[in-house]
Amino acid sequence: MNDESKPLSRRLVPYWLMGPGLIWLVLFFVIPLYFMLRLSLESGTLETGFEFTWDWANYSDGWDRYSEQFFRSFLYAGTATVIALIIAYPLAYAIAFRGGRWKNALLFAVVAPFFTTYLIRTIAWTTILSDDGVVVDVLKTFGILGENGKVLATPSAVIAGITYNFLPFMVLPIYASLERLDPRLIEAAKDLYSSSRAAFVKVTLPLSAPGIVAGTLLTFIPAAGDYINATFLGSTNTSMVGNAIQSLYLSLRDYPTAAAMSFILMAVILIIVLIYIRFAGSEALMGDEEEAT
Amino acid sequence: MNGARGWMRSLAAMAVLAAAVLLAACGGGGGGIEGGGDTGDVSTAAAEGKATGSLTISNWPFYIDNNTVPDFEKDTGLSVKYIEDVNDNTEFFGKMQPLLDKGESGGRSIIVVTDWMAKKMHDLGYVQNFDQEAVKPAMDNLVPSLQSPSFDPNRDFSLPWQSGMTGLVVNKAQAPDVKSINDLFDPKYKGQVEMLTEMRDTVPLVMKADGIDPADATKQDWLDAIDKIKQAADDGQIRRFTGNNYTNDLANGDAVAVIGWSGDAVQLQADDPDIQFVMPTEGCMLWSDNMLIPVGAPNPTAAYEWMNYVYDPKNQAQITEYNSYFSPVDGVKEVLEQQNSDVADSPLVFPTEEYTKDCSTQVDPPGSPEDVSEVEQAFQAVVTG
Repeated sequence: MNDESKPLSRRLVPYWLMGPGLIWLVLFFVIPLYFMLRLSLESGTLETGFEFTWDWANYSDGWDRYSEQFFRSFLYAGTATVIALIIAYPLAYAIAFRGGRWKNALLFAVVAPFFTTYLIRTIAWTTILSDDGVVVDVLKTFGILGENGKVLATPSAVIAGITYNFLPFMVLPIYASLERLDPRLIEAAKDLYSSSRAAFVKVTLPLSAPGIVAGTLLTFIPAAGDYINATFLGSTNTSMVGNAIQSLYLSLRDYPTAAAMSFILMAVILIIVLIYIRFAGSEALMGDEEEAT
Repeated sequence: MNGARGWMRSLAAMAVLAAAVLLAACGGGGGGIEGGGDTGDVSTAAAEGKATGSLTISNWPFYIDNNTVPDFEKDTGLSVKYIEDVNDNTEFFGKMQPLLDKGESGGRSIIVVTDWMAKKMHDLGYVQNFDQEAVKPAMDNLVPSLQSPSFDPNRDFSLPWQSGMTGLVVNKAQAPDVKSINDLFDPKYKGQVEMLTEMRDTVPLVMKADGIDPADATKQDWLDAIDKIKQAADDGQIRRFTGNNYTNDLANGDAVAVIGWSGDAVQLQADDPDIQFVMPTEGCMLWSDNMLIPVGAPNPTAAYEWMNYVYDPKNQAQITEYNSYFSPVDGVKEVLEQQNSDVADSPLVFPTEEYTKDCSTQVDPPGSPEDVSEVEQAFQAVVTG
């Protein structure tokens, strides 16, 4: 691959292709991020006006006041991600290998909820899980819930809502990686006297790892910042960090602390994701790229 | 490779430059939110000749019937954009503040907010005074009891849209003995009680239940009441805090007794006769939502045309019949009586003085802006858990 041997215009192609995305990111991500960073270091109130004072106390103050919400967010998002994975993997596996001519219809069924807006879907759950609803009735009949038990306004409802809302983000990447898997590899494993179980653990699972990593990230990251599920399905004791930021920004008009909290959230997510990728193996995520080069 | 990287750099530089130009063009060059309005120099939104063109109004949901806007358009030839984007005073303020601070209203000619928020916006210099000449027909029909509220004694910049009561909304079949705000703290109703996210509704009612008159309450009284609410929220007594959406929870059976608004109760009762407004034994909170003309509002002439139109008792009766709040317009009861409407006899729409004798008007927590913000923070901490 000698760059100099190609004409300039061809060497520039990748950059032209990246251009629109790059400009978009700079305009709508990097620049707002800069202003938010600045805002997070301002002090004052709405009435007196805000001033840039390198006020790092916004960060410690935000963390002190809302550390409970931070932990809760990661606990809920983490739990929902694990449940989603447990549901999504067999589902994606079944569609990819046993779907047959129903494959497209099944995939459509996975994506179909997206045809209704996120908000409406979540509000619909308040009816499904309501105290007089079917779900609570069934749980009471089987003695899982006590006489005065409820599902709505509990952590279970919030986690269930998050799991439901982000499930397609988990199914699709796993499906994509399983679908591309060459079945001859599994046949080869079996020819070499591997049991079905061993073939799955040694061949299928490692080859679908990029899908699992992508799916968990696509689920966990937005779930940690989500506040819709906690707003409608939860109570005051289940509020997440997104609710805290919303209340700081819209109700208390404490813009600097709200901005600081957003940065803390971003930083914590970044750290968790980096640790995760390190353990899960970045080659799992970037596998294809390495093959290509 | 060098050449390409150089290109890369200039591309990035171009992007930043483009962004800077764009931002400057949008007038956001300074970045960040400045806040801090000017007080004192309130301008007047002058009317000019006959109203033409279009008019944008921001109001609360479920606050107008389906015919008033089309009727008004037919009558005046104006075209109206009526948006229902006010769900909560503080949230609406949070959304509008960056615009208003730049002297813009986002195209809105009229916004509707509650008394205390009207005062706050006025203090920050975010609203304009009325052209009293132009709005005279409406002012002439304003009921006497609403003519000089403490925050705007001469109605210089505010005109009531509707008024109402905050009290108890109760499912009579499931919680027949809820009569006082204190009954909401009864363990019998654990997890089936809700309160409003509007601090100036919820907290004063809890203070009243403890025998404190909100008008003389100290900051400590507010904080104590908030503490009492927090205790109940932590124990799971209070299911959640809501805006208008407590109506769903009552209809679903998830809540049996809530702090809520009189007009909602009338609308809910129409679907389920068991759900009723209960005047708390300690009295209710009275409030008005007011039409304001924000700074930078286009076409104030059309705004006055609208105010005068909805203050005609005949037109107003149509709105009252729909939303069942107190009408600020004189003569509506007579119009409804002539039409043999049930609403004319409703004590919630036309309450007697006896019915509301223990009620208080909404107030801010006492003290400096810092004190108010301390109380607001304490309350928000309860609402967000």
